[in-house]
Amino acid sequence: MSDEHEHHHHAHEAPEAVDSGSQALAEALRSSFAIVKVVMLLMVAAFFGSGFFQVGPSEKAVILRFGRPVGGGASVLLGPGLHWSFPYPIDEVVKIPITEQQTVQSTTGWYFTTPEQELSGEELPAGPSLNPAIDGYAITADRNIVHTQVTLHYHIDDPIAYIFNFASASNSIQNTLNNALLFTAAKFKVDDILTRDVDGFREAVQARVSDLTDQEHLGIVIDNCQVHSIPPRQLQDIFARVTDAQQNQSKQINVANTYRDTTLLAAAAQASAITTQAAAASTNYVIAVKADARVFADLLPRYEENPYLFAQQKVAETMAMALTNVQDKYFLPERADGKPREVRLQVNRELPQQKTGANP
Amino acid sequence: MNRNTLTIVISAVLVVIFALLLFVFQVRQSETAVVATFGKPTGQNYDQPGAYFKWPWPIQKVYKYDQRVQNFEDKFSQTLTADSSMLLTSIYVGWKISDARQFLQVFPGDPSVSLPNAQSKLEGMLRTAKSAAVGRHPLSDFVNADPKALKFDAIENEIEQSVQDELRTNNYGIKLEFLGFKKIGLPESVTQTVFDRMKSERQVLISLAENTGKSEAQKIQSAADAEAAKTIANAQATATRIRAVGEAEAAKTLPIFEQNPDLAVFLLRIDAIKQSLNQHSTLFFDERIPPFDLFRNLPTNAPAH
Repeated sequence: MSDEHEHHHHAHEAPEAVDSGSQALAEALRSSFAIVKVVMLLMVAAFFGSGFFQVGPSEKAVILRFGRPVGGGASVLLGPGLHWSFPYPIDEVVKIPITEQQTVQSTTGWYFTTPEQELSGEELPAGPSLNPAIDGYAITADRNIVHTQVTLHYHIDDPIAYIFNFASASNSIQNTLNNALLFTAAKFKVDDILTRDVDGFREAVQARVSDLTDQEHLGIVIDNCQVHSIPPRQLQDIFARVTDAQQNQSKQINVANTYRDTTLLAAAAQASAITTQAAAASTNYVIAVKADARVFADLLPRYEENPYLFAQQKVAETMAMALTNVQDKYFLPERADGKPREVRLQVNRELPQQKTGANP
Repeated sequence: MNRNTLTIVISAVLVVIFALLLFVFQVRQSETAVVATFGKPTGQNYDQPGAYFKWPWPIQKVYKYDQRVQNFEDKFSQTLTADSSMLLTSIYVGWKISDARQFLQVFPGDPSVSLPNAQSKLEGMLRTAKSAAVGRHPLSDFVNADPKALKFDAIENEIEQSVQDELRTNNYGIKLEFLGFKKIGLPESVTQTVFDRMKSERQVLISLAENTGKSEAQKIQSAADAEAAKTIANAQATATRIRAVGEAEAAKTLPIFEQNPDLAVFLLRIDAIKQSLNQHSTLFFDERIPPFDLFRNLPTNAPAH
């Protein structure tokens, strides 16, 4: 620029000596100066044009004017699209790769797997012990070992704090996750973590994460957290057997309860049968006795007329009936000496109720 | 003239830009800065964002530091607890430069040099504070089902306190924002012992489930049996009562039979015979039983003529 300035000067100092050569030179200078002006305009345009910048779909941007964020609260974050700022050194654009919801996972509670193994779902068989350098786990209140993992979903509530107060806020959050797992496992028993109180464990982990992130002023709001816990792979079989045994236990109790129900129902039925029968028998007995009484009353006058004849007649009638019904009849004539005859019977046990007629 | 003015303006702008570059420095939101005059930190800390004045190099030099919370964790290392258990622990901290001038005095040089120095200092402090605190507590303070006995937080606070104290006493210009356990583990050989113990605990649970299942079921069954027997006994008692009522009712007919007890007894005996000599019975009789006494005194053999 200073060169052009000098040439210009010369042109003014010698106006008398206007020859065709110097005129051509002046002409050339004038036109080149016009070009320079255009170039300067273009440069100024480029300077301000360079202030345009684009924000991608999964990122946000913050404009710093003399180092200070422009805007306040949530309006600090510029969403996807085209934006403009003053060029450096006035403004500076900081792009942050974040989406609406952030996800971060704990790192120190799980056994060692390579990313390829995680993708394929195939894992190396577990060794007899855990190598502290690579395998992670948590120690439970009853000094068992469990593998546990927490996945936290959160969104950024205070972007200024999140971005400008922490070199890596997500790393800080990850550390609170790891800490929350250790802290919570330390007061839960293994069975509570794995089966009995899975929800309680999850809630306690989330509460701890929430406490820590609040204390550390990370500027986030927790949406939810998922906790996944398993027994050590080395002991998976025996843990499964405990579950089986416990299921079997409740099955046994169910069977016993069914037995109780049927037994009590049967007893109730039997009890009602007993009382019903007793009532019926009693009624029948009373009826029969009353009938007997009536018969007695009917027979009494005839008996009183001639007791001997009445008795003889009854006995004969009864004997006739009895003899008709009786299966076997034996007549024992009297011995010549008048003594009673001795009869020996061999009773077959299997025949029911063979009566021995021992006679006087 | 017009062109002269333009030239002057342009040079002025250039001079201003040059002067700005020489005399002004910017501090970002996330930064803190301190100015050193002839290598010696002077003046205030610039921890608010904005543009500030300085003398050009070599008179003054600006040191800018990240003022955000930095994450740092120490090595996963073995420490002995108060009850001589070997415990592996790793601690994470969030720290930041709170006093840039002080920091520059203690850790001179460019941040690329001074930051690693500061971190190794911090690591040393952490290690000392950690092994002291862990050594003061038995393992039961680290893991415990009783929330009152669990000292997890307390141990973290002890470590944090002791590091904090040392930072303050030595005036490093560093502030600890937070501290916590990141990883706790047992030596590899111990994990195997733990597995063995866990296995036997599981075994106990299995047999417990098996036995309680059996005994609970038995308890329920025998209780049911007892209750059923009681129900039936009660029913039998009721039945006896019912029968007694029947007997009493029947007894009301007694006066009728009392009119002639002989006949009553006779009829009862007749009935008894009828009942007993029902089917499937065998009867022996001799000549004395009526009506067979008819056979008596009859000549058994016709007299020979």
